[in-house]
Amino acid sequence: MKNLTKTLTLALIAFSLNSFAQTATEKFQMGMKKGLEMLGSAKGTDGFNSTANYFERVAQAEAKQWTPFYYAAYSNLIAGLTTTDKTIKDQYLDKALAEVDQADALSPDNSEIYALKGYVQYIKLSVDPQSRLAMMSASSASLAKAKALNPENPRPYFISGQNTFYTPEAFGGGKAKAKTLLETAAAKFAIFKPASAIEPNWGADQAKDLLAQIK
Amino acid sequence: MKTILLSFLLILTLGGAQAQTRISGFIKTPKGKAVANASISIKNSYDGASSDSTGHFDFTTFEKGKQVLVFSALNFDKDSVQLVVEGKLMNLNLLMKDAINELETVTISAGTYTTGDAKKGAVLGSIDIATLAGSRADVIAAMQTLPGAQAAGSESGLFVRGGTAAETKTYFDGMLVKSPFNATVPDQASRGRLSPFLFKGTSFSSGGYSAQYGQALSSALVLESTDLPDKTTTGITLLSVGGGVDQNIRYKNSALILGGYYYNLAPAYSVFKQQQNNFIKAPEQGGGSIQYKAKTSNSGMFKFYAAYGVAQLSLNSPNINVPSSPSYFSNANNNIYVNSTYKAYLNASWKLEAGISYNRDQDQGLMVQNNYKRTDKLLEGRATLTHYYGRLSNVKFGAETFNTGRAESLNNLGRSYTDQLSAAFAESDIFLSSKVVTRIGLRTEYSSYLNRYNVAPRLSLGYKTGKDSQLSFAYGRFYQNPEDSYLILKALDYEQADHYILKYELNLADRLFRIEGYYKDYANLTKVKGNQLDNSGSGYARGFELFLKDKKTIPNGDFWISYSFLDSKRDFANYPMLATPAFAAKHTASLVAKQFIPAISSQIGATYVFASGRTYVNPNNPVYLGDKTKSTNNLSLSLSYLTHVFKQFSVLYVNASNVAGFKNIYGYQYSTDGQNRRAIQPSSRRDIIIGLIMTIGDDNFVR
Repeated sequence: MKNLTKTLTLALIAFSLNSFAQTATEKFQMGMKKGLEMLGSAKGTDGFNSTANYFERVAQAEAKQWTPFYYAAYSNLIAGLTTTDKTIKDQYLDKALAEVDQADALSPDNSEIYALKGYVQYIKLSVDPQSRLAMMSASSASLAKAKALNPENPRPYFISGQNTFYTPEAFGGGKAKAKTLLETAAAKFAIFKPASAIEPNWGADQAKDLLAQIK
Repeated sequence: MKTILLSFLLILTLGGAQAQTRISGFIKTPKGKAVANASISIKNSYDGASSDSTGHFDFTTFEKGKQVLVFSALNFDKDSVQLVVEGKLMNLNLLMKDAINELETVTISAGTYTTGDAKKGAVLGSIDIATLAGSRADVIAAMQTLPGAQAAGSESGLFVRGGTAAETKTYFDGMLVKSPFNATVPDQASRGRLSPFLFKGTSFSSGGYSAQYGQALSSALVLESTDLPDKTTTGITLLSVGGGVDQNIRYKNSALILGGYYYNLAPAYSVFKQQQNNFIKAPEQGGGSIQYKAKTSNSGMFKFYAAYGVAQLSLNSPNINVPSSPSYFSNANNNIYVNSTYKAYLNASWKLEAGISYNRDQDQGLMVQNNYKRTDKLLEGRATLTHYYGRLSNVKFGAETFNTGRAESLNNLGRSYTDQLSAAFAESDIFLSSKVVTRIGLRTEYSSYLNRYNVAPRLSLGYKTGKDSQLSFAYGRFYQNPEDSYLILKALDYEQADHYILKYELNLADRLFRIEGYYKDYANLTKVKGNQLDNSGSGYARGFELFLKDKKTIPNGDFWISYSFLDSKRDFANYPMLATPAFAAKHTASLVAKQFIPAISSQIGATYVFASGRTYVNPNNPVYLGDKTKSTNNLSLSLSYLTHVFKQFSVLYVNASNVAGFKNIYGYQYSTDGQNRRAIQPSSRRDIIIGLIMTIGDDNFVR
C-alpha cells in the first residue's frame, strides 16, 4: 500500500511535471487541431471570420510558427471570397496577404506559402479585373515559385488550375487549359503526404469538383 | 498523511487545469451599434472569441493576474484594455472606434485627375491609357480626353484651361522633363516621347496643384514609374510603322530592363495622303533605353532610367505667299534623358525622396535655305523630406535646383542663355478629422538669369459632404519663366497666374461624377511689341467641366464622358489686344467607351471628340482673332484581339482614326497681302495603325 501510494505520488508528480514540460508543443498541436476542426466545419463569412480570429490568436501567441498565420490567411481569404459586402472584401484579402507575408518571414521559401499567395493575389484581381490586370502576373509569379520550390506539392497546380478555370480564354485561361493543370494536381494529390498533421493538406476534393465540371 | 498528500497533489494537478475565468460582454461603437465579427482575445494566449451579430462575446481563459485584452475588427481601430483576471466571471462592455477608411476619407483633389492601378480615386488605369482608341498609346493623347484639356489640334502639347502648351509641365517621378515631345513639324502635333508602359500612375492636374511643382502656369502632368517587374519576360511590338523589343530581367531584389525601337512612317505616308506637308523624307526614328530598379530595403527603392533617341525628316510645306516655291524644312533630332531617383523611409514617420535628372534635346536642319541648330538642356537635383504625424496628416519640405538653358544658331549667328533656378517648398496636409482636410503650401524660387525671387502660396480644402461625396476648393499662385524663345532674347520677369477652383465629386464603387468650376487670372505675360519684349501681358480663363465615368451600366464595358466649357481671353505674345486664342475652343466634349467581347476574345474601343470652332487671324477682319473655324469632330475606333502566336501571348490590334472622314480644319493661314489663305488641317484625313504585341515568358496579357 505504501509502495503503491509512493508510486502513485511519483506518477502524479511526474505527470504534472511532464504536462508542464510538454505544454508548449502539445498545447500548440492541440490548439492547431482545434483550429483545423473549426476550419473544417466553418460555414459562411462569419464562420471563416471566427476561424481567422482563432488562428490569429494562436499566431500572436506562437511567435515562431508559420502554420497559424497560414491558416489565418486561408480563413480570411475564404471570408473575403464569400462576403457579399463589397466594402470589406478587399480588407479581408489585404489581411490575408499581410498574413501570407508574415508566414513567409517565419518560413522563407516555403512552397505552400507561395501557393496560397498566388491564390490570394488572383482573388484580389478578380474583385476588379479591369483595373487590377497587373495582379495576374504577380499571381502566376507566386505560383511558379511555389511549383519550383516543391514540385511534389499539388496545391500550386490545383490553384493554377482553378485560376485558369475562372479566367476567360482570351486572357490565357479556359477550361481546356485548366483541365491539364487540374489533372496534374489530382495525380500529385494522390501521392502527397503532409509533413505533419497540422501542415496544409487541402484541395484534393476541390480539384475533383472542378474536374467534374469540365467533363 | 499519505492520503492527504495524494489528495493535495490531485487537487494541485486538477486545480491547475480547472481555474478558469469566464469573460463575456458586448462590443459596440460609441453610438451603441453592435460590432459583429470582432476578435476579442487575451494577449499572448489562445483564449478569446469572435463577437456575434449582436456584438456579444463569451469565452473562458486559464490565464491569471494582470492581462491585456485585445480587440479588433475590420473597419475599426484595434484597441486593448488592462484586466486583472481572478477566476470570477467578468462582464465587459467594450467600445470600438471607427477606423479611418481610406476610401471614405476626404482627399485633396480639386483640379486633379489621378490614374493608376491601385490608386484611390483613380480615373483611368494604365491599361485605359494604352488601349484608348485614337491615343496610339500616347499618354498626352489620352489626357486630351479628360476635362480641362483641349482636343488635339495642329500644335504639340497639352493646352489646359486657356493656357498655352508651355504652361503644362511634365514630371517623371517628381523630376521636370524639359522636352517631353518629339520634334515638331510645322502645323502638326507631335507625340509624347515617354511610353505609357513606363508608368504605373499618372496624375493630371488642370490647376491648383501642390507647392512641390513649380514653373507651370496651367497644368502639371505627374508620371510615376513602375516598380520591379514580376518576371523575366521579352516583349516584341510589331507595328505597321515599325517596331520595338524590350527585355525585362528580374533578379531577386532588382531588375534590368532594356528596350529599343525603330519607326519609319514612309510606308504609312504612301498609303494615307498627307494633306499638309509634302514629305521628302518621312519621319524616321530609333532609340534605346536602359532601366535599373532595385529594392534597397523594405521601403527603399532606387530607380535609374536612361534613354537616347534620334529622329529625322524633311519636307516641303506650303508657302501661301508664293505657292510655286514651297518652304523646305528638315530636322534631325537627338534626345538624351536620364532620371535617377531614390526613396526610403528613414524611420516610421520620416520619408526621404531624392533625385537627379538630365535632359538634352538637340534639333538641327535647314529652314528654307538657312541652317538652324537648337540645343535645350536641363540638369535638376531635388530632395524632399516628408514627416507623417497624427492618423493621416503630414508635412513636407523640399528643395530643388535646375540648371537650364538654350543655345541656338541660325547660319553662323549664335546666341544662348543659362539660368540657375533654385526653389524651396514646404507643404502640410492637415486632417482636422477624416472629413475635413486642408493643405497649406508655400513655394519660393530664385532665378539667376531673371535675377528675381518669387513667393507662391497654395491652399486646398476638402470637405466630405457624405459617405461618397466631397466638396473641394483650391487656390494657388503659380509662376513660370517666360518661354526659352523669349528668354534667349532678354531676361524678363516671371509670368504669373492665380487659380480659384471649386469642385463637387460623387464617387461610387462603379461610377464617378465630377463637376468643377474655376477662374484663372493671368498677369505679367510676355508681350512682343515690334522688337521689344516686356511683361505687360494679361488674361483670364473661366469655365466649368463635367466628368462621368461608368463601369456598371454596360457589362464587360465602361465609358466616360467629359465636357469642358471655356471662356478665355488673353493679351500676350504678339496680340494687339485682348482676344480669344486659337487653343481655347468654347466647348470640348469627348466620349470614350470600351467593351470586351468574350466570344471573340476582343476589346473594342471608341473615342469621339468634339470641339467647337477655333479662332484664327484674318487680316481682312479688323477684329483680331475675330473669325472662327467650323467645329471639329473625330471618331476613332480600335480593336484589340487577344490570341497566341507561336504559343506566346499576343495582342493584335487595329487603330483607326477619324473613321467617318470628317473634314476638320484647325485654322487658316493668310498670305501677307490677305488675298489668299490655306486651311490648316490634320496631317492626314484618316489613319490606320496595325500592330502585334507579343509577350514571351508570360502567359498573361500583361506588360
